[in-house]
Amino acid sequence: MSLASYAVQVVAIRFAILTAALLTALTGMADVLITNVTVHTPNQDVPLQKSSVLVRGDKIVRVGLAENVAAESGIEVVDGGGMVLTSSLFAAYSQLGLNEIDLEAATVDSRVDENGPGPAFDIRRAFNPASVVVSVNLVEGVTHAMVAPNPGPDPLAGTGAVFNLSNGQELPDSSAMFGVVSSTIAPMVGGSRAEVLGRLYRGFAGLSGFRLRNYNPGSGEYSRIDMQALKNFKGNNRPLVVEAHRVLEIGRLLDMAEEFSLSLVILGGTEAWQIADRLAYAGVPVILDPLENRPLTFERLGARLDNAALLHAAGVRIALIVSDNHNARLMRQYAGNAVAHGLPWSAALDAITHTPAEIFGLDKQMGQVVEGAPANLVLWSGDPLQLSTWATRVMVDGEWIDLSSRQTRLFERYRDLSDKTRPFGYR
Amino acid sequence: MIHQVFNHMKQLAAMHAIVLFVFCTGTSLAAEREPFGSTYQARVSKPLVFVNANIYPGSGEEIRSGFVAIADGQVVGLGTMAEFSESEKFADSMQVDAEQRWLTPGIIDVHSHIGDYPSPAIASTRDGNEATSPNTARVWAEHSVWPQDPQFALALAGGITTLQILPGSANLFGGRGVTLKNVPARTVQEMKFPGAPHSLKMACGENPKRVYGTQGKSPSTRMGNVAGYRTAWAEASDYRRKVNAAKEDPSKSPPDRDLTAETLIGVLEGEIIVHNHCYRADEMAIMIDVAREFGYRIGTFHHAVESYKVADILATEDICSAMWADWWGSKLELFDGVQQNIALVHKAGACAVVHSDSALGIQRLNQEAAKARTAAIRMGMDIAPGAAIQWLTQNAAKSLGIADRTGTLAPGMAADLVLWSEDPLSVYALADQVYIDGYKYYDRSDVSRQPVSDFDLQQTVGGKR
Repeated sequence: MSLASYAVQVVAIRFAILTAALLTALTGMADVLITNVTVHTPNQDVPLQKSSVLVRGDKIVRVGLAENVAAESGIEVVDGGGMVLTSSLFAAYSQLGLNEIDLEAATVDSRVDENGPGPAFDIRRAFNPASVVVSVNLVEGVTHAMVAPNPGPDPLAGTGAVFNLSNGQELPDSSAMFGVVSSTIAPMVGGSRAEVLGRLYRGFAGLSGFRLRNYNPGSGEYSRIDMQALKNFKGNNRPLVVEAHRVLEIGRLLDMAEEFSLSLVILGGTEAWQIADRLAYAGVPVILDPLENRPLTFERLGARLDNAALLHAAGVRIALIVSDNHNARLMRQYAGNAVAHGLPWSAALDAITHTPAEIFGLDKQMGQVVEGAPANLVLWSGDPLQLSTWATRVMVDGEWIDLSSRQTRLFERYRDLSDKTRPFGYR
Repeated sequence: MIHQVFNHMKQLAAMHAIVLFVFCTGTSLAAEREPFGSTYQARVSKPLVFVNANIYPGSGEEIRSGFVAIADGQVVGLGTMAEFSESEKFADSMQVDAEQRWLTPGIIDVHSHIGDYPSPAIASTRDGNEATSPNTARVWAEHSVWPQDPQFALALAGGITTLQILPGSANLFGGRGVTLKNVPARTVQEMKFPGAPHSLKMACGENPKRVYGTQGKSPSTRMGNVAGYRTAWAEASDYRRKVNAAKEDPSKSPPDRDLTAETLIGVLEGEIIVHNHCYRADEMAIMIDVAREFGYRIGTFHHAVESYKVADILATEDICSAMWADWWGSKLELFDGVQQNIALVHKAGACAVVHSDSALGIQRLNQEAAKARTAAIRMGMDIAPGAAIQWLTQNAAKSLGIADRTGTLAPGMAADLVLWSEDPLSVYALADQVYIDGYKYYDRSDVSRQPVSDFDLQQTVGGKR
């Protein structure tokens, strides 16, 4: 091949790639047929072997045996090679995109001190999709996360929302109010858990008849902006996610949710297993770290490894999380541990894919591999809850994402220390 | 091959007789017995032979369908089932049919704060770091250990038979660490691993400079850190000269006792192993030169998130790296963590150790090893399953200076072992039985073999966690 014709060919190829990219950009996404996969999806007893999944735009349009899902001409076909296809992972509670380096205050936006508001605090303006922490988790299959405030100066910490970690967009109608009822927050309101609950009671009770222009708060009462935020939250009937660990406080919160018609979600819930039947009856879900079995405080004396299994068995909806914000990607290992301690496998998968979406009132099919669901998918090298597997491909809203991260770049730079051809800084 | 029982009894007895008179070396106040010496006593146990077991002996390889025989607290034989059938040797031992479950040596965690930072984690129990001076080499972590910390039992259920309790990392010199056997006990002395060397915790980087810098004290910078190490080593060296001079010339009076100097001199004499909290590669290189200047060795860099950048140097220097599989990012010095760190250190021929520094991580150290291996395989590197187990057993024992007693299943080694419900590299594997010196301290299916700390009594439902 002459140099000239080679150049022409290169240009032609580049043009073709550009055209394809442009088309993709214009139409949103290309259609994809994923063949030869084992599909696991919640609410299904047996996995679908040797199946195909057709994605059109940002939706799954067909799921079924290979022979029933025909390839259309011109469509991208991905041979799954018998691997496992599931919905992508959903972090039900995180500070992804809020906190880059925990001990560098200038990179932490998840909380305010006593100079900041209580329920009026809203983290959404601070979510940074360019965060390294976001991409490190995204490439391991964590595509969506509830991004939430950490406890601040008040039992109500403020508003969080679900973000798409690939495009950085907030999902519509995905917000939630966060709070904490425990000894850790008690010092901020005088030292007693009774007053922690008291403040919440007064806040919600005060909503009836609340008018901003007539409201002149006294000591121990919510400020005007906090009260207005509480009113907006209540009016939208969004979930109230409250961290609580002791069975006593969980029970009090159930009472309060009933009295004020709140869509309560328990976060942490170390002793939730002791009150599982009541949680199930009230339809209150629990978001928990399934590894936390230490009696870490006097509020957590009942900590045990089968908390998730006991809650599930009682009919409580659960979502499983990793307490370390930098490692939301480990949620599948955590789910695997919950299985080792009695949680059914499919319930464990559900707890890191579909249930989080359900808890926050998102698209009913989100987190499932079913027709009509958003095309958020991960192709795993094997059992996704197992330690020997990894995400080989990750799709968000119908598009495959790039699986390189700052961590994979660092690995490539230093994988061969004996190679002296180029200094490390140029690799 | 059936390994024969060598004349290990004598060897072991000799080793146990070598107790550390570390503080004698730094002072003329000769002690009659080792202070705070171990009162651990192995429990009497019956000879046992595990048959039909898959075995990771801890030294890197694996035996499919084999046997392990233990007697008098030691491993007395192992090999394949074919070899077992040919031998009459263990005919009198009680047999435990492993039904193809897996055996490993007892898991060793070289970095734990259990007992010093117990659960419940409240002000009255927070005893892990004497963060009142950059150099607290005089404090000993064992003096803070609360044997009733419920976390010891949680670690036991994860297969941990030996663990090193270290002081925290706020200081340049945090103090002495202690190696414990994970046995329920009333006193820390009853847990102390007989004959295990003392250790010295040192710390690089952000922690010391943050803790003292914010108090307006030195160190407030990394160069302040290094000046702090060098000043302390120089003072200890001077002190040692005075002690030795007094020994050689009776007319000279020895210097007053100095507990700080005694610890540092123990390091200079090669009796105390340095465990150095250090994340960044460039700081490790600095610490290696500090050690060279004053004539001591660094045993293990802990956390060592950037060991992969200098794995060749660590191999040459024969320094272990104690690492996590995937923790990263809470401080800038942990920002360059990669999941292949452990495997890259291993492949460079350096000593790779998986550690926890966490009362949760210690309960499933086997899973950390499994993840580290997977991260390497994903990138096309080849790591045998047995090598991953080696990171938790033989290499960890080497790091603590006890590899001649535990960390591998071989005749003459301690019968510290774990019977796993399945391959311990699986997320679903649980420790079914845990043995320390041949005694069954834990049995998942027998509540009478599940220790409950005093603290947990009547505070848990059936003691279950």
